[in-house]
Amino acid sequence: MSVALRSFEAQYRERPADGLDVWRDAAMQRLVELGLPTSRDESWRYTNLRALQAQRYTAAQVAGPAATGAPADATAWLTDGGRIPSVVLVDGRLRDAAPALPEGIRVHSLRELAAREPQRVARHLGLPRDTDLRRWELLNTALFSDGLLVEVGGNADHSLCIAHVASANGTASAVHPRIIVELAPDSRATLLEHYLDTGAGTSLCNSCTQVALGAGARLEHYRVFAAGATATQIDSLDLVQQPDSSCRLYTIALGGELLRTALDARLAGAGALLESHALLVGHGSRHVDCAAVVTHAAPATQSRQSVRAIASGTSRVITNNKVIVAPGAIHADSQQSLRGMLLSPTAEIDTRPQLEIHTDEVRCAHGATTGRLDREMFFYLLSRGIDRDTAQSLLVFAFLGDVLAGMSQGAARAAIEGALITQLPDADRLKDFR
Amino acid sequence: MLLKISDLHVSVGGRQILKGINLEVRAGEVHAIMGPNGSGKSTLAQVLAGREDYEVTGGSVSFEGRDLLALPAEERARAGFFLGFQYPVEIPGVNNVYLLKAALNAKRKAAGLAEVDAYEFLALIRQKMKFMQMSEAFLSRGVNEGFSGGEKKRNEILQMLVLEPKLAILDETDSGLDIDALKIVSKGVNSLRDPARAVVLVTHYQRLLDYVAPDQVHVLAGGRILKSGDKSLALELEQRGYDWLLESAVA
Repeated sequence: MSVALRSFEAQYRERPADGLDVWRDAAMQRLVELGLPTSRDESWRYTNLRALQAQRYTAAQVAGPAATGAPADATAWLTDGGRIPSVVLVDGRLRDAAPALPEGIRVHSLRELAAREPQRVARHLGLPRDTDLRRWELLNTALFSDGLLVEVGGNADHSLCIAHVASANGTASAVHPRIIVELAPDSRATLLEHYLDTGAGTSLCNSCTQVALGAGARLEHYRVFAAGATATQIDSLDLVQQPDSSCRLYTIALGGELLRTALDARLAGAGALLESHALLVGHGSRHVDCAAVVTHAAPATQSRQSVRAIASGTSRVITNNKVIVAPGAIHADSQQSLRGMLLSPTAEIDTRPQLEIHTDEVRCAHGATTGRLDREMFFYLLSRGIDRDTAQSLLVFAFLGDVLAGMSQGAARAAIEGALITQLPDADRLKDFR
Repeated sequence: MLLKISDLHVSVGGRQILKGINLEVRAGEVHAIMGPNGSGKSTLAQVLAGREDYEVTGGSVSFEGRDLLALPAEERARAGFFLGFQYPVEIPGVNNVYLLKAALNAKRKAAGLAEVDAYEFLALIRQKMKFMQMSEAFLSRGVNEGFSGGEKKRNEILQMLVLEPKLAILDETDSGLDIDALKIVSKGVNSLRDPARAVVLVTHYQRLLDYVAPDQVHVLAGGRILKSGDKSLALELEQRGYDWLLESAVA
């Protein structure tokens, strides 16, 4: 057993019992049997966790609300100046009481629910069949100390921002925030999840979000990963969609030293639609590994995946997107467009589209390309007097632009654009461009 | 002398394309460079604009007395040099208006001028667009994005009119245009004619010269200027083709 897993197990034994112990025990036990993933595991081939495995982690100290270092604007960033209600989790714990929300959307602290009505949480914690692919989720199930259950109903379009603030205190602390989202049939919501960092020490955030969309429900889900330069984040998103539901997902990778995101989407009901867009920014020595498995499990389901990755410095970006069309999912329609742009000779981008089709009468298209700046476009801009740095930034921004253009939340889009620009070469010249 | 090209030799990938070009263009003049396919016309235009894939193996180019070849492409543009591309590239995601504004401001900055006022700039663009008979939709689109061949060429001329270069080289701006578009493009070129500026038209056909009367016509073939003359040379080429010139050059 690795040092890291041993430290997690020790934390597990020391944690106070709650109404979820049966499920937590099962998860921890299974994880101990399996061990944490290593680069020998197919889906972890490109991400070396050796340093992580050797780390002895402690549970993040839970600070009182007054002691948290969450900046005042932690939530203002994506929330349109506070117009979108927000909930702040500091090191995986709810910072304040849940805000007053309009009718039709409710949030509960998982910690409180675990004490009061554990069955409402427990039904989301059952062991999945493919546990070996979900080991970090198992760890999250065993160790999450708090999180949110978000329930959306009614016909109004609800918006909510969840800010995850890690206040690493210099030790190798680990947090395991858990978010569970349920949209009732025909309900609509916009959800913004924002992961950020206020500390400076090494930290591990092992986040897990589960989303269930009822029949006809519609969700626009922004997930912005903007942790500090030394942070490690391993994130799992499970999405299950019932008939005719639609989800538009934005995964924005802007921070951290190591970021791994794993999407597992199951289009369980006929006519379900998933649009998954990712903007992956490799900067400095960052390592971004974005894995997605989209399973078409019902007829006439549609998925659209587009990934735009850029890498500068010595960064590395991996995008591994798999589409599975299950038997019986006739008329499934999937498209994958994975594109990378290398901005330095020492950066690396790997795009891996994969298809696994178990039925006839489907339409599956995929394309993957990685290249450098387009020379024709670059020269055209120079020939108009634009300087080289600006020309490069413009072309990078244009490359990312079609994903940004689809965002319907204007304020979130502007915030994300602003954050993206700061990570492009020659950032300040682009302000005018926005 | 606005532009003076002396004995210019250029190769691409080890192959000699231009084999000693001599050309002088004075302010106020319009020159036409004609010639068969593969004669080196586009290479000349691209080299002058600062394309880095070409290697200058000999000769010199001065622009208002400055060594043009020593300047990177972006500085040539700011100094008042403009290339109208034969195949303008599409740049989705970079807005037309933004490009024009950034280009104009880059030029103004190099001249020590303040940035253009946003409101005045938009008024200027609208006026030039109207002159070039371009639709409003242009304003919100990416550079050349989804434009037809004719629209792209019109956009090149629009950019030229906004940037007001001292020297414009238009590389086959007339090719692929229908007669109406050709008239509009010609109107744009003629509107830039001015005692302080010069235009060099690179073209295959004499047709454009019906609308933009050149002061001098040069025939470029095999990497050299074989013959220069006035407008009547273009008419002669239209009737006789290029072969008689090529033959006499060999002889």
